[in-house]
Amino acid sequence: MKNILNYSYYPGCSLHASGKEYDESTRSLFKALKIGLQEVPDWLCCGATPAHNVDELLSLSLCAKNLNLADTVPGDLAVACAACFSRLKTTQHKLKANDSKRKQVEYALDGPLSQGKPVKHLLEILAKDFGLERLAGKVEKPLTGLKVACYYGCLLTRPPEVPELDCCEAPTIMERVIGASGAETVSWSHRLECCGANFTLSRPGVVLKLSGEILTSAKAAGADCIMVACPLCHGNLDIRQKEIEEATGERFGMPVFYMTQLLALAAGVAPGKLGFGSMMVSPLPLLKEKQLL
Amino acid sequence: MKNAKMHLSTETMNIGFVRKVEALSGSSVRRCFQCGKCSAGCPMRSFMEHPPNRIVRFLQLGQYERVLAGRSIWYCASCEICSTRCPNKVDLASIMDALRKLSWDSQGPSKESYVQLANRLFIDNIRTYGRQYEMRLAAVFNVKSGQFLKDLMLGPKLLTKGKLKMFHQKNRNIGEIDKIFSRIEELRRNGEAS
Repeated sequence: MKNILNYSYYPGCSLHASGKEYDESTRSLFKALKIGLQEVPDWLCCGATPAHNVDELLSLSLCAKNLNLADTVPGDLAVACAACFSRLKTTQHKLKANDSKRKQVEYALDGPLSQGKPVKHLLEILAKDFGLERLAGKVEKPLTGLKVACYYGCLLTRPPEVPELDCCEAPTIMERVIGASGAETVSWSHRLECCGANFTLSRPGVVLKLSGEILTSAKAAGADCIMVACPLCHGNLDIRQKEIEEATGERFGMPVFYMTQLLALAAGVAPGKLGFGSMMVSPLPLLKEKQLL
Repeated sequence: MKNAKMHLSTETMNIGFVRKVEALSGSSVRRCFQCGKCSAGCPMRSFMEHPPNRIVRFLQLGQYERVLAGRSIWYCASCEICSTRCPNKVDLASIMDALRKLSWDSQGPSKESYVQLANRLFIDNIRTYGRQYEMRLAAVFNVKSGQFLKDLMLGPKLLTKGKLKMFHQKNRNIGEIDKIFSRIEELRRNGEAS
């Protein structure tokens, strides 16, 4: 069967390691929706937060190199990780506006820069290119009765001139996308708060506090689970959840899904292909209770 | 002193430093009128000794040593709340990036160097491998920061979940990646980049 849409694909480092279930479920979902994904050959780390924290020129150069590599594959560039997405878009934004930085990056890359292939987060592809009606039409197993807290974190919407994904203070794109699968979304306070990000390596105490507040808020809103679109947010909320429980004395037991895991489940993809076994907080009891397995 | 008059001028402001920050960040420091909206929304406020708006005020008053020596800049999470909500278009998240770079360049590791150390190791991984090697990153960080037992219990769990790779291949284009680093160093040596 011919694909309806085709994209070049930048998975990013986490999707090959700690966030591998995001990669697996993205590929499974897109296959089920007949959207083609072709991985960019020889892509490198985007530099994420550490690179721009200490060396903006390096950060811009690493991303510009990736954008050049992406030009070798047809189709707009699909990005799954919120941080990679933010860095690639920031680079396009800054190099367009600043001639002297552009010249420095051209020198660093020893050649001309890519001519601005559109960089799109998976959410944008699903909500806008593929479309919510078509997404709803692909649902084989509606997620009825599953209460989802959609967690955006920082970089999907901020600063607003960079991602251009949705309103920066009151976005709804995640709720609309998962709503198409029949899930119920809860209204809660910490959708846009920071999880502690890359302090997970250098100062885990920061993550325990900030991610603890996010889990508390989701629980108070009556959510069964949290849905994310970023491997770092996932690591902080899922991998560190047990430590957060030990530190706060509160029991959460809150499964943290990647959006593609839930969407693929609804689209009828076999649960074995969605990496549920890789999650630290097992979602199996919840999915069984909701008769989704 | 409460009612003492304060005289501000380009000299008291240390305008040279302010200009450096503005060039690196692409944002005005001088435009801030101290409304405090950045600090009100900052998720890292409770970890900082000075709230974000005060950091800008120190810069306006020429007291940049206090900023560079302090820990506030190293506790910024780059969440972009401040830049998003500033009513006067001060891009404080980019100013924080510029301050970290200036601190790093001028005084090397500071007492908050855990964060610097982690950033440095992350960047070294890119130059050596092309992509992040999470297990190496965590292991080297623990050794270099002297926290040998940090997250010791987490490693085996992540391994059994298949989330840590024991072996990591270098990118085929590692030569091109190394060249990017060398060329940036060259630009800086020649004074053509800051």
